[in-house]
Amino acid sequence: MKEITIFHDAAKDLPGVAARIKAGQKKIIGFLCSYAPEELIYAAGFHPMRLFSSKSEIVLAEQHLQAYCCSLVRGVLEDSLSGRLDFLDGTVFPNTCDTIQRLSDIWRMNGRYEFFADVILPAKLNTQSARTYMTEVLTGFKKDLETAAGKEITDVDLQESIRKFNLIRKNLSKIYALQSQNPGIIKGADLYAIVKGSMVMDRDEVLDLLPAIVANLERRDIPQKSVKRIVVSGSICDSPDIYTALEAAGGVVVGDDLCTGQRWFEGEILADINPITAIASRLLDRVICPAKHSSPTARGENMVSLAKKNKADGVIFMLLKFCDPHAFDYPYLKEFLEREGIKTLLIEMDDQQQNSGQLATRFETFIHMI
Amino acid sequence: MIYAGIDIGSITAKAALIKDNQLMGTHVILTGYDPINAGIKVFEALLKKTQVLKKDITAIVSTGYGRASVKFADKAMTEIICHGTGAYFINPEIRGIIDVGGQDSKAILLNASGQVENFAMNDKCAAGTGRFLEVMANALEVELNQLGDASLNADKPLKISSICTVFAESEVISMIAGQEKRENIIAGIHDSAAARVAILASKIKIKEPVMMTGGVAKNKGMVAALENRLGFKLIVERSAQENGAIGAAVLASKL
Amino acid sequence: MSDKLSEKRKIKSAKKMRDIMTTYYIDAMTAGQNNKQVAWITSGGPVEPLVAMDIIPVYPENHGAMIGASKMGEDLCIKAEDLGYSSDLCSYARADIACAIVKGGPLGGLPKPDMLICCNNICGTVLKWYEVQARYYNVPLFILDTPICHTRYPPEIATYVRTQIDEYIVFLETITKRKFDYHKMAQVGKLAYEAQLLWQKVLNTTAQKPSPMSAFDAFFFLALIVTLRGTQTAVDFYRELLEEMEQRIKDGISMVPDEKYRLLWDNLPVWYRLKWLSEKFSDHNACLVADTYTSAWCGAIKYTDENNFLDSIAEAYTRIYLNIGVDQMADQVLDMIKFYDADGLVMHSNRSCKPYSFGQMDIMRIVREKTNIPVLMIEADMVDPRNFSQSQIETRIDAFMEIIKQKRL
Repeated sequence: MKEITIFHDAAKDLPGVAARIKAGQKKIIGFLCSYAPEELIYAAGFHPMRLFSSKSEIVLAEQHLQAYCCSLVRGVLEDSLSGRLDFLDGTVFPNTCDTIQRLSDIWRMNGRYEFFADVILPAKLNTQSARTYMTEVLTGFKKDLETAAGKEITDVDLQESIRKFNLIRKNLSKIYALQSQNPGIIKGADLYAIVKGSMVMDRDEVLDLLPAIVANLERRDIPQKSVKRIVVSGSICDSPDIYTALEAAGGVVVGDDLCTGQRWFEGEILADINPITAIASRLLDRVICPAKHSSPTARGENMVSLAKKNKADGVIFMLLKFCDPHAFDYPYLKEFLEREGIKTLLIEMDDQQQNSGQLATRFETFIHMI
Repeated sequence: MIYAGIDIGSITAKAALIKDNQLMGTHVILTGYDPINAGIKVFEALLKKTQVLKKDITAIVSTGYGRASVKFADKAMTEIICHGTGAYFINPEIRGIIDVGGQDSKAILLNASGQVENFAMNDKCAAGTGRFLEVMANALEVELNQLGDASLNADKPLKISSICTVFAESEVISMIAGQEKRENIIAGIHDSAAARVAILASKIKIKEPVMMTGGVAKNKGMVAALENRLGFKLIVERSAQENGAIGAAVLASKL
Repeated sequence: MSDKLSEKRKIKSAKKMRDIMTTYYIDAMTAGQNNKQVAWITSGGPVEPLVAMDIIPVYPENHGAMIGASKMGEDLCIKAEDLGYSSDLCSYARADIACAIVKGGPLGGLPKPDMLICCNNICGTVLKWYEVQARYYNVPLFILDTPICHTRYPPEIATYVRTQIDEYIVFLETITKRKFDYHKMAQVGKLAYEAQLLWQKVLNTTAQKPSPMSAFDAFFFLALIVTLRGTQTAVDFYRELLEEMEQRIKDGISMVPDEKYRLLWDNLPVWYRLKWLSEKFSDHNACLVADTYTSAWCGAIKYTDENNFLDSIAEAYTRIYLNIGVDQMADQVLDMIKFYDADGLVMHSNRSCKPYSFGQMDIMRIVREKTNIPVLMIEADMVDPRNFSQSQIETRIDAFMEIIKQKRL
């Protein structure tokens, strides 16, 4: 389907996407974390673009970050220092984890791009004072964007931006729901490309393409093949091969708890309240990231609920090596799931290690077990 | 006056003699399992070779991982200082040294007076060292001393992405199973090792002219791979492997 | 003769501190019997309100240091890995999580907490660590969220943190079912301030040439300012320690015999190898005169108003050394190099502490550009000895010292 192909092309070629955006005279603001307030960036007239490591060899980043740093951060820094991100006009760093916080300093000290902003969101999300603080931070960021854009961001601009992003999210949720209802109706690699594309492509273009994909899926024949229903949990998953390998082993991903997946697009921004408050509310209330806190068991409960809702046969944890927040949660998430009789598998991922043979073996064994 | 330097490395032990600021001779043997014995053996072998008597040696400096086991040395000094001194002694124009030995690799920066300004050594893993190349040669069933020529005949050097020796070996085995040409695999191995070493050179902002020392300097493929990564030519002397011992002897003359 | 000399060099106050720490831990272990409550708190957390409420504060990180020093880190870390915790996680956290379950460590485990107080000014790991313990012990958890101040301390952070201090007090009142005594708090605040001033003065004595004590001693004497801050005991002790240091200066007693070279240490100590490291540098006539870690417990003095302690807690606890930008950290390192007249900087690249270790390379670069002094980086871990390669580190230290000595000639 040509719309899906467009997403694939974008997912594989971020510099190409950037070039087309720049041809349209738009400035690009990059970000690494799904807490980045994209709606604000868009409302300011800039293009919010999620950054992924190009998985190139780490040479320049070795002078700034030790080897015990996750490959997303080292990889993106490598890309920046090598000039591969020169299409950026700026970056925004929502504070996420310790590693990103230090990347922010190193990035800022390098001073390579015109616009730079730290958006220091609260780590606690369950109190009124955190809510107030979050709103103030977003208001401050809005001012920074206005200064950079040389114009005011009106409430109308914001509401329009919010409307579009809500629509993108709604469409993505619909696609996920269709996959969950009829596993295999769309290839996992296609779903991955669509989500990744939605984070990097021109959002208006994304809005044009998604409804067509939804309509197409609704018309497809329901797959008859029996598959194992898998839910995936982790941070960044930038390896479409995972989905292909899983499908070859007889499993389909019917839902996820990924930073680059459902956690990123879940949740709607309410339309009839102050837009900044509304954006803050969504960030505070959406499915929580392990680097944030709402309660000691929030994530575990979420995980169980997600697995049950999607009737998961098994859960695969795809954890990025050296990602501390995820690694701390893993033992208790595993425990919560196994208590419900749901089997789990742990895969440690790293940009630098691609051993497909080993992966296939582990998937096949797991599918066989569940 | 005659001075001696003894370098006990993980794979080989080297000795050197300096007289009136001239190199008298050097000797190399395998270290084996007993560094104390290796130190005695290599020293005595060199004395015999040059027909010098032990009592004529004014001072001895030991270096290398086994430097503490040379009990008869007057002082033990690190390989960093010794390689720096040795290279500068051989060629006072030298401003940087890249030493790839058996179990570690180093990049050394000298000032105009031949003093060490800064240095960087490899991390815990062996991915840039002689040991790494040994493991790989084993996996490919190639003699270690044939690695150099083999890689120079590559037509399509392959990429090895792992920085860990164990994982790199895994990758190489997959390549063998995929029936890739040996020469191309070896070229990939050399590039991978060279990449690790080049990072050390970057860390200290090494300046030309740079000399390559250590046993791995005999591997033409590694030298070529390093020159490719660094972007400049390396100076390789015949005394590359014994460079540490030579430097130790020079330092003995300054005690 | 050498026995008498080394006897003279020993710091007399050390014995007193050991006694104080023993009493402190006994009190903590017997809290239940004495109708007292125990709070576990992070090393950067505001302990003063706990002291004002007569709650015994216990520091899992201080316990982590003890585990490291008693060389029990490896086994506990392995146990944590058996439980599913990645070996790449902070070794303090791994050791403590395992310790709670097997009741290990030099004390047979810490006393069960009645509450957990977590301040994330030092790192995000403590947030996750304390969530684990909150689930394990099933006790209330209070989080003081101190957003990082990369370049500035903006009003919204000040307000957010100050509001949370009030929330903290409500939390304590709820758990203890007692009213918070603001008058007592003011007294505790004054004592805390005084202790920090004294600790600063103790650390300043090492600017003396030769230095009366080293960073290795500071690592040891740090424990009281961390655990007993806000008490009269801490004030009295540091006053005595300061007097002893001043007397040593008068008597010309140096920690390193024949001190020739002065070094600055960065990052947490390598707890299980302190003696070896100390002797290694001492053999080179080098004294690690100061470090960025122990000075973190008096760095907040400039933001503290001793007459309005409760209000100042917000800024004092938010703007600590680890909660600022790398460029600001570099400035502080440069200041210390100047103040202590350091000939070299030794940086511990500590696998367990990302906020401390990421940025070190840029700090190294800045230090070399601005001062040209040699900088040595040692890769290790603070508690897990499996990441310590003695032979490699020994060579690096020797080579580093050879360069420093050469520069002097």
